[in-house]
Amino acid sequence: MSIDRPHAEIERTDEGIAIEYLADGPTTVRHSAQQIPRLDVTPEMLADSGDDPESWLMYGGGYAQQRFTTADTITPENVSRLSLEYTVEATEDVERGKFEGTPVVVPSDPPIMYQTNGPDVLRAVNARSGDVLWTYRYAPEGDDGQPALLCCGSNNRGVAVLGDTLYMTTLDASVVAIDRYTGQQQWRYDSAPTDEGYSATWAPVVYDGSILNGSAGGEYGIRGFVESINADSGEREWRTWTTPKDQWIGDSWQHGAAPNWMTVTVDSETDTLYASIGNAGPDVNGIVRPGPNVYTVAVLALDTASGDVQWYFQESPHGWWDWDASAPPVLFDAEVDGESQRVVSHAGKTGWNYLLGAEDGKLHERSDEFCQHLNMWSLPQDNLEDTPWIMPSADGGSEWNPTSYSRQTGNVHVKAMNYPSKFQWDEDPEWNLPAQYLGGSFTVYPTMDDPGPAPDEWNRQLAIFSAVDPVSGEVVWQDEWDEFAMGGSMATTTGLTFAGNGAGEFIAYDSETGERLWQYQFDASVNGSPMSWYDPVVGKQYVAVQAGGGGLRSATDGNTVGVFSLEG
Amino acid sequence: METNDTLTDGVPDVDERDRRNFLKILGVTGSVGAATELSLADLREAVGAESADELAAVGERIRADLAGGLDAGRLSEAVGGIEAGIAELPALRAAGFPDDPDASAYREVAAPAWDAYDHLAAVGFFESAERHLPEFSPDHVRATAAELIRAEPLTAALAEAGFEERERTALVADVVNQNARLAQWVSTAKLPADPEGYDPADVAPLHQRALGGALLWIDELDHHLWQREAILTDEMLDRGIWDVKAMLGGVHLFASAASDLAGPEELADSQLAAALAGGSAIAIRAQEDVADDLFRVTDAERAPRGGVGR
Repeated sequence: MSIDRPHAEIERTDEGIAIEYLADGPTTVRHSAQQIPRLDVTPEMLADSGDDPESWLMYGGGYAQQRFTTADTITPENVSRLSLEYTVEATEDVERGKFEGTPVVVPSDPPIMYQTNGPDVLRAVNARSGDVLWTYRYAPEGDDGQPALLCCGSNNRGVAVLGDTLYMTTLDASVVAIDRYTGQQQWRYDSAPTDEGYSATWAPVVYDGSILNGSAGGEYGIRGFVESINADSGEREWRTWTTPKDQWIGDSWQHGAAPNWMTVTVDSETDTLYASIGNAGPDVNGIVRPGPNVYTVAVLALDTASGDVQWYFQESPHGWWDWDASAPPVLFDAEVDGESQRVVSHAGKTGWNYLLGAEDGKLHERSDEFCQHLNMWSLPQDNLEDTPWIMPSADGGSEWNPTSYSRQTGNVHVKAMNYPSKFQWDEDPEWNLPAQYLGGSFTVYPTMDDPGPAPDEWNRQLAIFSAVDPVSGEVVWQDEWDEFAMGGSMATTTGLTFAGNGAGEFIAYDSETGERLWQYQFDASVNGSPMSWYDPVVGKQYVAVQAGGGGLRSATDGNTVGVFSLEG
Repeated sequence: METNDTLTDGVPDVDERDRRNFLKILGVTGSVGAATELSLADLREAVGAESADELAAVGERIRADLAGGLDAGRLSEAVGGIEAGIAELPALRAAGFPDDPDASAYREVAAPAWDAYDHLAAVGFFESAERHLPEFSPDHVRATAAELIRAEPLTAALAEAGFEERERTALVADVVNQNARLAQWVSTAKLPADPEGYDPADVAPLHQRALGGALLWIDELDHHLWQREAILTDEMLDRGIWDVKAMLGGVHLFASAASDLAGPEELADSQLAAALAGGSAIAIRAQEDVADDLFRVTDAERAPRGGVGR
């Protein structure tokens, strides 16, 4: 069912992507008389989500964000019979090319999928049949000031769920609560003003009655934060700023950025959250913010109840290269130094995977490179000509691309970009929002009209998908792709790893060897992260992935969510 | 120009390329400086004093600006504390990588310097220094270095802080040879800024950034060395300890000048200006080096995977 006019308008400007809401307030359209089965999503269900084959109740599958399913119907032996069961299509042009999310599935009868895409669109879907039950589109009520500006795409990556309520971030940096049965908005929490550069695209997490939320706008002079919001009332419980005043010189913390623009990971045994923290501001001119610039480009561990900082690990202290530590951290137990330990694994835009002690943040191992390095750590100059080609580029390494972890092999699976950038500081003599607060600029070779000769050392593969042993640091296997590749992967208990790429391939690998066992060709880039659930009523395991392109480095736009199951 | 990474007895070598460049920039010709080991003392008579007047004018303005605002006792105590901290560095190096995540030895070493910094920030000293000192142009860096070399009180201050002749030479040669890097550290007034939108007041004055940044890097070392031992090596720590010493040396030179201004006023105006500019320059260069030496680790440099590096 179409609507008379889109609820929002997206405009590409010199300073980024601007979203203007055309509707006055949220709208919900019902498409079907089917009722969503009553099932209270309990904290216990959330805690078990990563182990329950019938559930996928949050962005990363479970609080640990392993993106691992225990559903075991699809195996290396039968994956060749995997075929498309149904698709969910976005109907509005404004939604094309904004598919970076991961659906969640509530294990009712029938299971209900909640799927989001940009700009701020949420659907409830009968996950057995593919029928869309209702569509919610967000818009603020009344004039909400300046349009949100986004550097890298007007996406939405998913919802959180608790009880009968869904929680979704919006591009204008709000969090909304939506009745999961009716699609009606319950409340809205305005986390930060768009006229200060804030925005939001990530999937929030609900833990212990609170919504764990972050901040985006690292290219627009914001001050980053991680915060907790009461899931019932929508009121803020705590906020931890990510540029601590006493560890920044002068007032540089005010525009120091350090956003948390991807979903946090939670250890429910210790009530600790692990947030991935982005670049410092201004990105490319460090002289105004001397020192290490804690907690930029870091994994940051906080107490979930108080927001107190437990530890931080910076991957690029005092960075000049936009190497956000953006991918969600992954939590698991591993044998390190002869004893089983809880660890946090993080794949960086720096091109290395870091294995950290979950309790203290100590680095156990930095992996071998999972993408090429060239002139690593070379400082930008005040003109592009004097700055060498640098790899990883400003895109990484592992961008926001969520890592998956195989409990079968112990490997993490990392999608990485692989091309050069040049950086220069202080090109633009003025800054005044709305404008990017970069303190300079950078180029990205494959996107340049006339980049000149490429560095000889670059192998020209735009993306590399790697299995990395996080404990030893060894890169176990790799598949090189010649198109951009955003989004994440998923591992299965039967030894499969699913990942899509910018060329539209959706691939099932043998987790052990990296052999391609099956693939499907979409007509758009696969920039979402796969997920899976088992439906006991029909005895099928499903795998779903968004294939509609995304914001940054998206080769082909589309509007599809593909859902697969075994034939016969 | 690339920096020289080789050390002898914990001090960066000034190799032939650095020596030639250094002497050329200073305008020293002939056989001066051609001794086996480059030494500031050998250059003292050879460097020109043509820029001393400009520095003196700057020093005079700073002196007039801050008359009566400084706490002589506090600064003197801080300078002594910095000297004591520098004396602790060999023991810190010998201790290697901390076992305790809550170790604080480096923070303790930096504490007196922070006290000087806090006081100077509170009385507006950094704003005054930025207002009157020139940008780090090649000419200003050269003039500052020449004054550092010519002025015995400044050499003595560095000696007091625990820098031997070879170390003093390494500090000054690095500042001169890396003047292009210093030039990127512009004053607040030179920052890209739109007065209607972006408030330059959010950015600290240049010399506050120079000193404060250096001290933040030192403060971070306890945590960093404990946390990242898996990829760090003893060679990196050797270089890092020198960087710490250089950062503290830069802060010491700056704070000593402020202390003199508050108290005995023994420094000439040109020496005051040179000490402030030189101290800042040394602190800037050393903080860039510590980031490069200890925080930005390539695969080629890192300790081998599996923890068998040491």
